[in-house]
Amino acid sequence: MDLGLDVKERNGWAVLSVQGEVDVYTAPQFREQLIELVDQGQRSILVDLEGVEFLDSTGLGVLVGGLKRVRSHDGDLALVCTQRRILKVLEITGLTKVFTIHDSVDAAVGGNGQG
Amino acid sequence: MDRVIELEIPARPEFVGIARMAVGALAGIRPGLAYERIDDLRIVVSEACTAALEALGDEGKLRLRCIDGPKTLEVRIEAPGVAFESAFPSDEPGPAVDSFRISLIRALVDDAELRSSPGRTELCLVLHREAASENDENLPA
Repeated sequence: MDLGLDVKERNGWAVLSVQGEVDVYTAPQFREQLIELVDQGQRSILVDLEGVEFLDSTGLGVLVGGLKRVRSHDGDLALVCTQRRILKVLEITGLTKVFTIHDSVDAAVGGNGQG
Repeated sequence: MDRVIELEIPARPEFVGIARMAVGALAGIRPGLAYERIDDLRIVVSEACTAALEALGDEGKLRLRCIDGPKTLEVRIEAPGVAFESAFPSDEPGPAVDSFRISLIRALVDDAELRSSPGRTELCLVLHREAASENDENLPA
């Protein structure tokens, strides 16, 4: 089971695209990537979850940890997600109120969030 | 007719995906569970296995027993010899992984019961199937 992680720069945002399944096995790679971005000085991080096929509480913990880390440096971490199965997990855990969730990377980097 | 399938996996992170894939595949054999509900079950199985695995510390085995009946699908997850009920605190402490886990388990299966005794914990998860087909019993076992 592989996790795909790809980082691109868009309008001042570090866009981290995640592909595959995020669970207890793959979450450490995801966590390390977020930590690395913050350590590199990125303060606006957008995590694109459109390619994620599975996400459980371990993955949610990584997202919350990343948000706390970047906010401690006066930054922000937002999400791109339109997948019902992933949004459902975020809704059940109350995280739709914690993260700004965008419909697309374009909408996010243009500043048109919905959350 | 109930069909019972048992699976034992090493208590290591790389095997949690195999557990949820196997349970998801089993859940789809008999009619009565929508794809979305099978997806829900996969999440809960992943949560339960991860909790057990954290208690085991990468050693030992996880045992899954799936009882596939016409009206319900029951999945029992046990880490033999190890108690992991502490992974499911009764009072949610806040936005931590444990509270996410509890919220997901409560929301995504019809019944979840934690059975614990000294040195032993079993998490029993139940999904109720929608009206089963009359021909359901004729499915290959």
